[in-house]
Amino acid sequence: MSYLIAIVIAWFLALLNASALPYVQVLGVTPDLVLIFAVCWAMVRGQDEALFVVPLAGFLRDLNTSDPLGTSVLAMAPVVLLAAAIRLRALDTEFVPTIAVVAGGSLAYGVISMMVLAATGQDIQWLDALLTVTLPGMLVNALFTPILYLPVHWLGHRRREGLQGAGRLTSPL
Amino acid sequence: MRVIWWLATVVAVSLISIVFSHQRTLDPLQNLSLTATSPLQNGLRDIASPLNDIYDGIIDHGGLVRENERLREEVERLQQQLAEQQDAQQRIRELEDALEVKQSRPEDQLLAANVIAQDPSGLKRAIAIDRGQDDGVDEGMVILSRSGALVGSVSRAYRDFAWVRLITDPDSAVNAQVNVQAQQPQPAATPQVLTGGTPAASPSPSPAASAAPAPVGAGGGPAADDGPARGVAAGDLRDDLVLDLLPTDAHIAKGSLVMTSGLGGNFPPGILIGSVKTVQERPQSPFKKAGLLPATRLANLDTVLVLISFKPARLTAP
Repeated sequence: MSYLIAIVIAWFLALLNASALPYVQVLGVTPDLVLIFAVCWAMVRGQDEALFVVPLAGFLRDLNTSDPLGTSVLAMAPVVLLAAAIRLRALDTEFVPTIAVVAGGSLAYGVISMMVLAATGQDIQWLDALLTVTLPGMLVNALFTPILYLPVHWLGHRRREGLQGAGRLTSPL
Repeated sequence: MRVIWWLATVVAVSLISIVFSHQRTLDPLQNLSLTATSPLQNGLRDIASPLNDIYDGIIDHGGLVRENERLREEVERLQQQLAEQQDAQQRIRELEDALEVKQSRPEDQLLAANVIAQDPSGLKRAIAIDRGQDDGVDEGMVILSRSGALVGSVSRAYRDFAWVRLITDPDSAVNAQVNVQAQQPQPAATPQVLTGGTPAASPSPSPAASAAPAPVGAGGGPAADDGPARGVAAGDLRDDLVLDLLPTDAHIAKGSLVMTSGLGGNFPPGILIGSVKTVQERPQSPFKKAGLLPATRLANLDTVLVLISFKPARLTAP
């Protein structure tokens, strides 16, 4: 059931990303809700679900862009590794590490996307793309993280409650 | 260990998928996806567009008032130009009839298309339209705005949809030429070419050229016998649109209109691209560069026109 919810949310966010989100420009870039969602899911729900949800979110994103199919799947793969590395460090909070993974994942996503586009014959202005798209994208995605982190955390909390009985109330942050 | 195997699998599947997609094997899948989601995407765009207008109105109210004033003045100026141009066109028609000359460009056939999606990555500037190969749209076809300004060209056509590469995309390059803007300060004695000159010396009957001679020679003064300054309008991530490879002696003024030159055969001549925003003087460079302001607002396009009647040359690199 949780996979189905993840697929539906990722699909809707992919549509939103390609239709309405381009109207929202912060620092000249559009927030990547699919990437943010994938990171939040990986951080909150753990590696087992991330291994499935992250590539699927990438695939759904690819269906709505002009990039070759597979570009986002490849570019979002580091998200799983970053999330796994951060989760090993048994921190008290998930929120701050999630923001760090969103920023790191955005950088990795931008660089890998540029490499794929260059390999498929696109003209990439590397320095300009880094300075005007990728680096602002890291910041903007980090800023938009709470919008998706809170609902994903709420879903995860409800699931844990269902599995373990009524648990103690914890702050999402 | 499990993550390493997962990573290897994801990388392998992705690379295979990218290769197949590049070879167009996966086009039906993308066409199906866009077909299924286009109503929802249209709905989302319809919701977002007015919200964006309200947001823009709130945060940039002063700018909008100033822009309105500027546009009113421009409308007045253009109406005056239009009146002059209509007179000039009438004279051209009479002369063409007299000389039995036919127009070089036949009546344009245009196909209206809705914009349903926009590439969100930021690395590319592309939009998806709801017209595809079944409607006669093919790769390389020219896309215009509702007002007739250049928007881009079709980069990928599916059965029912097409992706359009905007002129601001880093991969876009359009052969262009600069015309001197009508409002540019001219010497008082400068004659109106079409009203006072001979037909043989008249430039093409474009709006910009109707009121002033084409530019522009060394030394900066207008020179009626020189051709327009030609360059390449290329997309740029930082400046959106730049006009590069201009001759260093070309006198390019801010506000000058830039149009397609038709060279190369990928775009018909005489389509408005934009106007000169900044001119970059580079002493050591063999070419001059100018920043351009696109004639149409490419970020919020809802409807575009596909120029069906023009077949691009589809020049490929050797």
